[in-house]
Amino acid sequence: MEIEENNFQNAMNESIDRLNTAANLLERTVASLEQREAAMNGDMRKIVAAVEQGAEISQRELELERKLVAAEQQISELRAQESKATSVRKTLPASTAHLLAKGGITALESIEAGALDAALAGLSLEQRIAVKAQLMRAGALA
Amino acid sequence: MRLEALAVALPEVAGHPNRIPFEGVLTLVDEPSNRPPSGARGHRVVLTRAAAMTALPSLLGMGVDYTPGWDGHDTRRKCGIITQAEVEGNRLEVSGYLFGKDFPEVEEQMRRSNAGTMGMSYELADAHVEDMNASIWKLTRATFTGAAILLRDKAAYRETSFKLAAKRCRTIGFAAKAAPGRTLTEQASTERPRRLDGRNTWQSEKGKEARWK
Repeated sequence: MEIEENNFQNAMNESIDRLNTAANLLERTVASLEQREAAMNGDMRKIVAAVEQGAEISQRELELERKLVAAEQQISELRAQESKATSVRKTLPASTAHLLAKGGITALESIEAGALDAALAGLSLEQRIAVKAQLMRAGALA
Repeated sequence: MRLEALAVALPEVAGHPNRIPFEGVLTLVDEPSNRPPSGARGHRVVLTRAAAMTALPSLLGMGVDYTPGWDGHDTRRKCGIITQAEVEGNRLEVSGYLFGKDFPEVEEQMRRSNAGTMGMSYELADAHVEDMNASIWKLTRATFTGAAILLRDKAAYRETSFKLAAKRCRTIGFAAKAAPGRTLTEQASTERPRRLDGRNTWQSEKGKEARWK
């Protein structure tokens, strides 16, 4: 009987502790929500519906314009790179790509003449000429 | 069409030399401004219909001002008064009087300028912004403290307008269409200017065209 009472008392204490913790958490949440709402809302002392005569807007517009020009330039460069890479991939035969890979050349966009010669050293003259011609047609060699 | 209106009742004075009636569109409600207004930290703003309706009484009796360059506000250069305001559709329309004798240059400018070149701009105090982080600020509460007449391209809202009214006094026009069952002639012969007192200094008839009974 006494043991049961003790168990009941312990369970009650545990529940009360849990409720206290939950209440504290709720209070903190409410306070944080109130703070957030206060930061989001605001009162402006004066607004007039005429366009501002200051430099603030034109500066902002200029900055946006600069960003737009830079972004457009970047886009056109990326497009050019992509189309070049795509054309190389499309026109270079698989056997040639395999030969080049064997010689350690995987990035076709930037083949140096010295590296290419070294890679093709094991091939016959005709084969070397054929590979270089294919690379030139693909636009990978100038 | 939904229409809400308020008006200040002024006694009629025939041929008053200092009262030149005007009408205009002060702003649009529930529509974002075309450009950021001054004082809005670069944000465009939208005045909600509810905020405009609540603030409508604060507009009556407020002055209209101008700058010599017609490009902004000069709150100390009051050249007229707003006597009536209504929200029709999404347009907040106002009418009132210019002090034509005191400010002949204003009347001159209105008569000289091409139709559609002049606009209006409101002046708000204690404007409540719902979310300061929003790209377009929503104004949910405000008090009108006046208005300016300016070139339309200097206004934050492109669809505003300002012009001299065709009629000498717009309130006569409203009186004329008020009473059902009477002819305009009968009504005109019995209509008398109302005296200003605490009870009828402003009249409010929400949702009706007839404002005077």
